Amino acid sequence: MAFIKKQAQPSTEQTQSTPETRDCQSLLKQLSSNDSTERRWAARDLVECPECANALMQRLKIETENSVREVILTTLTRMGDPVAIAGMVDCLRSEDAALRNEVVEAMKQLPLEVAPMMLGLLADPDPDVRIFAVNVLESLCHPEVESWLISVITYDAHVNVCATAVDLLGEVGTSNAIEPLEQLKARFNAEPYIQFAADLALRRINEI
Amino acid sequence: MKSDMSKIIISEEDFLKFREYFYRKTGINFETTKRYFVDKRLIERIEATDSGDFRSYFIMMRFQASGAELQLLTNLMTVNETYFLREDYQFDCLVNSILPELVKRKTDNRPIRIWCIPSSSGEEPYTIAMYLMERWPGIHQWDVEILSSDIDTGILNKARIGRYSARSVMHVPAPWLVKYFTRVGDEYQICQDLREAVEFTRVNLAEPTDTRGYRNFDIIFCRNLLIYFDDLSRKTAAEVFFDALIPGGFVCLGHAESMSRISSLYKVRKFPQAIVYQKSLESR
Repeated sequence: MAFIKKQAQPSTEQTQSTPETRDCQSLLKQLSSNDSTERRWAARDLVECPECANALMQRLKIETENSVREVILTTLTRMGDPVAIAGMVDCLRSEDAALRNEVVEAMKQLPLEVAPMMLGLLADPDPDVRIFAVNVLESLCHPEVESWLISVITYDAHVNVCATAVDLLGEVGTSNAIEPLEQLKARFNAEPYIQFAADLALRRINEI
Repeated sequence: MKSDMSKIIISEEDFLKFREYFYRKTGINFETTKRYFVDKRLIERIEATDSGDFRSYFIMMRFQASGAELQLLTNLMTVNETYFLREDYQFDCLVNSILPELVKRKTDNRPIRIWCIPSSSGEEPYTIAMYLMERWPGIHQWDVEILSSDIDTGILNKARIGRYSARSVMHVPAPWLVKYFTRVGDEYQICQDLREAVEFTRVNLAEPTDTRGYRNFDIIFCRNLLIYFDDLSRKTAAEVFFDALIPGGFVCLGHAESMSRISSLYKVRKFPQAIVYQKSLESR
């Protein structure tokens, strides 16, 4: 027994399971296969079929195999087109907590694509959706993040939404946030957590 | 006009703020003892970007849509070097824990396949070959294939040639140096047997057509590469490895990298020598 080199090539089995002629229609069919490996490979290769974003979103909502879900979300994130983004936003309303969290993580990767929808999300009638939108801001590399957060703590009526925004302002806030934070404290003067979080944010901002 | 470097000060709060952020983005955690190392590079970038102070620089870096400045800083904050037997506790883990477990459950005579990416100039795959020859008795019972890939064709050619500096081989035990290398002037030429033991290929991990054929590996070494990737690229790489591994296969990452922060696809395995990541036996 020893080292083998001549067989140390990409496995030929792969060619059989994923032939080179993987057109979008075949991949879509495989996305519904009973075999999770086939579904995962289809989801991965569909990145080259942007017109299939909606089909991926629909599959994501019913997919039970974790590895397939992860790949679908990665593919949708790599597509990053309006259909994919709209589908992700739709998933923020899902009752499936795991799916919501996965979508929040995916949206953080798409600052430029998500930005145009952020004002709408932060004004959504559902406070849970507004909280998820603030969660997205947590790692969203976008220059408007601070002003969006200031807008939340200035206008949002829901204490939990404001509390989530204040936590983040403590990390990214600048002197622009000082007055809105003081106003927030006054607006929610009976909420101990808001007092604590706003004071902490103010202290951090003033330390800089 | 460039600002006066002596006027740029990284305060304790700045350092802690940066450290927390950098850790979250890259998984790299700087101890307080690394303060000088971190401050020096931060000041260098504050100057180069004309940011004036830490606060302006940090905000620019954090909210830059392209993430280019964070990537640049990451490159500066990591020491991009390789040498034989680097982080050798993982090779100890390979021969003392991973391979014994793999062969114990093996029910066929299929060769054990190891994929090493990035190849860089070949020190890591050749180290694996030497470790197997010297410290794994199973090499006499099992066939092993070592495949090593990199995106850089120039570095792959260098790896195939196998000529190294004295610094590169400084951790190689003297008997191994005699056995596997020939001194050529100030350099060391790796022997023909080891050159023939490793197949080098060009692969871009972000390109599905490149990685599609890479399947049925028992072990993947991917050390100190993912720290240079953004989150999405790391996730894509983790998914490529998942498809490339057999059920029960292992991924070994660099000491500052954690799969747990990248993907939930893998199980964490704590061996006495190292923490590695495993595709579950039930996975397909």
